[in-house]
Amino acid sequence: MSLEKIEVDALVVGSGIAGLQSALDLADQGYSVAIVERNPSIGGKMISLSKVFPTLDCASCITTPRMASVSHHPRITTLTYSTVDAIRREGKTFTAAITRKPRYIDEKECISCKRCEEVCPVFLPDEYEQGMGAKKTISIPFTNAIPQFPVMHPEHCIRCGACARACPKDCIDFLQEPAPVEIKAKAVILATGYETTPMTAKKQYGLGALPNVISPMAAERLLAPHGPYGRVLRPSDGMTPGSIAYVQCAGSRDKSIGIPYCSRVCCMYAIKQAILLSGSLPIADITIYYMDIRAFGKGYEQFYNNARAMGINFVKAKVARITEDENHNPVVRIEKQEGTSGPEEIKHELVILSQGLVPACDGSKFGLGAANNEFGFVKLSDETVSSAVTDGAGVFVAGTAKGPRDIPDSVVDAGSAAIEAASYIRRL
Amino acid sequence: MNEKITEAASKDNYRQEPKVGVYVCHCGGNISDIIDVKAVAEALSKYPGVTVAREYAFMCSSNGQDLIAEDIKNLGVNRTVVAACSPSLHELTFRNVLQRAGVNPYLHEHVNIREQASWVHKLDKAGATAKAIKLAQAGVEKVLRKDALNAIRVAAEQRVAVIGGGVSGMRAALSAAGKGLEAVIIEKGPRLGGKLLELGKMYPSGETGPAIVKKLSDLVLAEGKITVHTSAEIDFVSGFVGNFKINFKKTDGSSAQVKAGAIVMATGYEHYKPAKGEFGYGEDANVVTLPEFISLLKNSPADRLEYSGREIKSLALIHCVGSRQVEGVHKPQADGRLNDYCSRTCCTSALHTVNQLKDKYPGVRVYDIYRDIRTYGMKHEEYYDKASKDGVLFMRHNEADQPVVTSDRTGHTVKVKDVLTWGEELEFKADLVVLVTGMTPADITLIKSQLKLPSGADRFLQEVHPKLRPVELANSGIFVAGAAQYPMDSTEAMASAGTAAAKAAILLAEPDIPLEPFVAVVDEHKCTGCGLCPAECSYDGALMMGEHNGKKVAVVNPALCKGCGACVAVCPTRAINVAGWTLDQFDAMVDAIAKE
Ligand SMILES: Cc1cc2nc3c(=O)[nH]c(=O)nc-3n(C[C@H](O)[C@H](O)[C@H](O)COP(=O)(O)OP(=O)(O)OC[C@H]3O[C@@H](n4cnc5c(N)ncnc54)[C@H](O)[C@@H]3O)c2cc1C
Ligand SMILES: Cc1cc2nc3c(=O)[nH]c(=O)nc-3n(C[C@H](O)[C@H](O)[C@H](O)COP(=O)(O)OP(=O)(O)OC[C@H]3O[C@@H](n4cnc5c(N)ncnc54)[C@H](O)[C@@H]3O)c2cc1C
Ligand code: SF4
Ligand code: SF4
Ligand code: SF4
Ligand code: SF4
Ligand code: SF4
Repeated sequence: MSLEKIEVDALVVGSGIAGLQSALDLADQGYSVAIVERNPSIGGKMISLSKVFPTLDCASCITTPRMASVSHHPRITTLTYSTVDAIRREGKTFTAAITRKPRYIDEKECISCKRCEEVCPVFLPDEYEQGMGAKKTISIPFTNAIPQFPVMHPEHCIRCGACARACPKDCIDFLQEPAPVEIKAKAVILATGYETTPMTAKKQYGLGALPNVISPMAAERLLAPHGPYGRVLRPSDGMTPGSIAYVQCAGSRDKSIGIPYCSRVCCMYAIKQAILLSGSLPIADITIYYMDIRAFGKGYEQFYNNARAMGINFVKAKVARITEDENHNPVVRIEKQEGTSGPEEIKHELVILSQGLVPACDGSKFGLGAANNEFGFVKLSDETVSSAVTDGAGVFVAGTAKGPRDIPDSVVDAGSAAIEAASYIRRL
Repeated sequence: MNEKITEAASKDNYRQEPKVGVYVCHCGGNISDIIDVKAVAEALSKYPGVTVAREYAFMCSSNGQDLIAEDIKNLGVNRTVVAACSPSLHELTFRNVLQRAGVNPYLHEHVNIREQASWVHKLDKAGATAKAIKLAQAGVEKVLRKDALNAIRVAAEQRVAVIGGGVSGMRAALSAAGKGLEAVIIEKGPRLGGKLLELGKMYPSGETGPAIVKKLSDLVLAEGKITVHTSAEIDFVSGFVGNFKINFKKTDGSSAQVKAGAIVMATGYEHYKPAKGEFGYGEDANVVTLPEFISLLKNSPADRLEYSGREIKSLALIHCVGSRQVEGVHKPQADGRLNDYCSRTCCTSALHTVNQLKDKYPGVRVYDIYRDIRTYGMKHEEYYDKASKDGVLFMRHNEADQPVVTSDRTGHTVKVKDVLTWGEELEFKADLVVLVTGMTPADITLIKSQLKLPSGADRFLQEVHPKLRPVELANSGIFVAGAAQYPMDSTEAMASAGTAAAKAAILLAEPDIPLEPFVAVVDEHKCTGCGLCPAECSYDGALMMGEHNGKKVAVVNPALCKGCGACVAVCPTRAINVAGWTLDQFDAMVDAIAKE
């Protein structure tokens, strides 16, 4: 296999909103940029959100144009479904070894007609829909994905050949191999983002085994305009939930699971989801169990006040345990911090765990000298003078790769990483 | 100023036969849940002048954009109408599609059927659909009458003016200079550093405010591309993107002027000053604000916490003073508004300060009265933990039950209805009361009014969009950095200032800047030289009487004209029009809407 070589000014690892925006802010200054994304589409977490606080814009409406600008930008090259295996520093240049994972189709020929997807007989749980709903073994990851190429999952494929027969361009290639790519760059921006704390993190909250205790990402998909069911229902029996509860700090501010820090976004996304839920389920009771509501950003306190005015219940309480009754109704054991004393058990029909944010990628593994902080996020070399410079010369960081933060803060980070990288390149 | 304009709005008439493509967007379900988008596309496909009409889930997505590009290529579409969200969100997105496909980008019309139809007529689906059809038809009429316009290009000063020399201003200047631009800091105070000059040990680094200022100001002074003016009082700001002029007075009374292509507003904040009598402030000397307490702590002797020669053995902190105000509970500010925002930094700063207090004077009793503790930063939860471990007594109240401070000869009594002890009314004595005050924006009335800068209900400078354009003001070429936009700590100010510099660098990446061509254009044949219109124009130099082929006519300076249209309204002969928004276009739109 011949080695594809790309030479650019800057390499951006990760294509969430922080990666996309830093690439654009560099390219618009005249620099050439390569973005490497491990997923089949660019867009990161933001493209799968429903609507976003505090403006309640639909997430697609503001992510897709950024994605499109990146994919049309003459100075930006994007490599999706690609892993960064290693980055070496040689003098003033970084050389990154990338592997393009096989999609099992010929990307040069594919016209995104979806015929392969239509005929494929094998369904799998759709991870973009958080496992709710199904997709085909060969399929385009989601409606707004960029690029619009199908991906085949060989571990599920029964080699029936239907896709190959249906494809008008003869692109299906069952024998496609991973392809190596080499990228040379003068600077690197780490924008590798976050994952949510796992559902299994806490024994007391059912270890992810209670069907009607769901993740906030699943709730985002239930609320999304193009969600898996087109409406809000609960997983165990498809019922429309009449009583919904949020458990705040589930996976943050909790030394017992090794995450003492506050995840910054979970108060706000819970409030947002509660507002959206009361829009789609006007008669549902919605309760948020919380310790402190951290609505500290511009317009956030007002957003919180609106939610209270809409009748969403905010209850100061610690949730000690979640179990379920015989109908899979989650039962939440709370210790209230106001009103009556003593623990109480309250039954709801759906519970969402407001999970925290942990790093998605160990940035130190690339051996670039960019160290992590004690929680595994990329550390800044001196945050009192710059918000993007890491301990590794020529290596910068943006967005949730350096710690939990919301979209406005991630976007602002991105510009600052771009200007730091530009200054560094200029001075080389 | 005229010589700076390299190319004015030119109105070369589009000679091809017009072929309109109409694209109706579902906007996820934002539009299609209410409006029958298929019916809209169907109705428009039959409308005169329309070559093709389609509907699609997300027109702004790459697939949606490709639909348009392909129709341009395959069907010869040369004008487009997109019926979708608001033009402020995506008009530019679609203009770029036309540009890429080789069509003049101004031959596009964006029709808002979301805010103007689906969102406001949720209960009347048929009515909303009918309205969307009318609006789209009016859009077709307008686009049929549009001219191909060209962006106006103005030469730009390759220099960034940074107003305010706090940490944000210094960072913005450093980042701009790092990129190779000249930067000028204009600071009204005698020194660089802003509020950090007064602060003690800061979170999260533990370094003092002045030490951080020194690190940044050393970098600034070593950077040859940065000029610093301190004790500079700005008295007049004018100009437009690429060509701003900032006039200021120096201490010696002399005046100076800085010319700049872009401005970064880094004017920071003021500490909230409690009203006289607010928790006893201003009436009782033993009620102080957090910044006052920070300097008191800095200057106290090693063996005891001292205030006006008296030892302080107990103190009570009250959070959210001047922030998170609620109607019916708090008195409005002088302008009638409430400070209903959270000041973001004060919880962390208060607890960080209490940590230092407890380290220095472990015996001092501390009561902390709060509504929510907002120590959201990565390591800030530790300050909260440490305070609890150090024996700080936390009390929590609901917004409606404000704590009450009363003072008499024996000292202060603080009363709190504490929800943590199930709403019990607690009463205790404290030697000192510390009001955890928040931030209000710095007073920049003069600059704001001269440059017509927007601010929000919270009075801080208002960005265009928190996610898409978070540091840009609606005024082209003016950016905001740091606490001038909203309360933020100094590390967050670094990010904001860096981004403001990045946006300035992008703007000035080329020697001239493209401006929107939506400016007044005079039809010299129709203009009778009556001179009514210049009197209506409120932008200096935008519209004057001049000559054309020996005839007296109105003459527009396209770089200064804002396209407001005030002149259009007074012209008796319809000789003056705003390009892209002409009277003929509006007439046709009204006719289309009014038609049965
Ligand atoms: C349930 C929920 C709801 C939310 N709602 C809101 C909201 O309404 N408003 C708001 O402002 N914020 C919200 N947020 C926060 C928001 O999601 C984040 O602020 C934002 O998405 C962060 O963007 P990012 O680019 O930093 O990270 P990400 O979106 O995580 O992007 C990182 C990208 O890097 C890729 N990547 C990681 N490692 C590698 C590697 N080694 N090689 C190649 N690629 C790699 C990942 O695949 C990913 O695509 C919400 C968060 C959650 C959990
Ligand atoms: C009590 C308190 C404690 C804090 N503690 C911490 C902490 O421990 N750690 C932390 O990170 N942050 C802390 N902060 C926040 C920190 O003070 C701000 O983040 C920081 O000062 C913001 O910097 P800035 O440059 O945006 O604004 P400022 O520091 O306010 O600087 C603005 C500058 O602009 C100048 N200016 C204003 N108007 C004009 C004009 N018209 N013309 C010219 N110049 C003008 C001002 O003179 C000033 O020098 C604290 C805040 C408070 C209130
Ligand atoms: S060969 Fe595999 S991917 Fe193709 S249609 Fe059959 S199961 Fe699906
Ligand atoms: S059928 Fe072929 S051309 Fe069509 S999407 Fe599938 S792989 Fe691409
Ligand atoms: S943002 Fe709210 S829910 Fe999330 S960890 Fe912080 S306090 Fe808890
Ligand atoms: S940061 Fe804390 S003290 Fe400051 S306004 Fe917000 S909640 Fe109140
Ligand atoms: S459109 Fe407004 S700014 Fe332009 S010349 Fe007319 S009155 Fe002046």
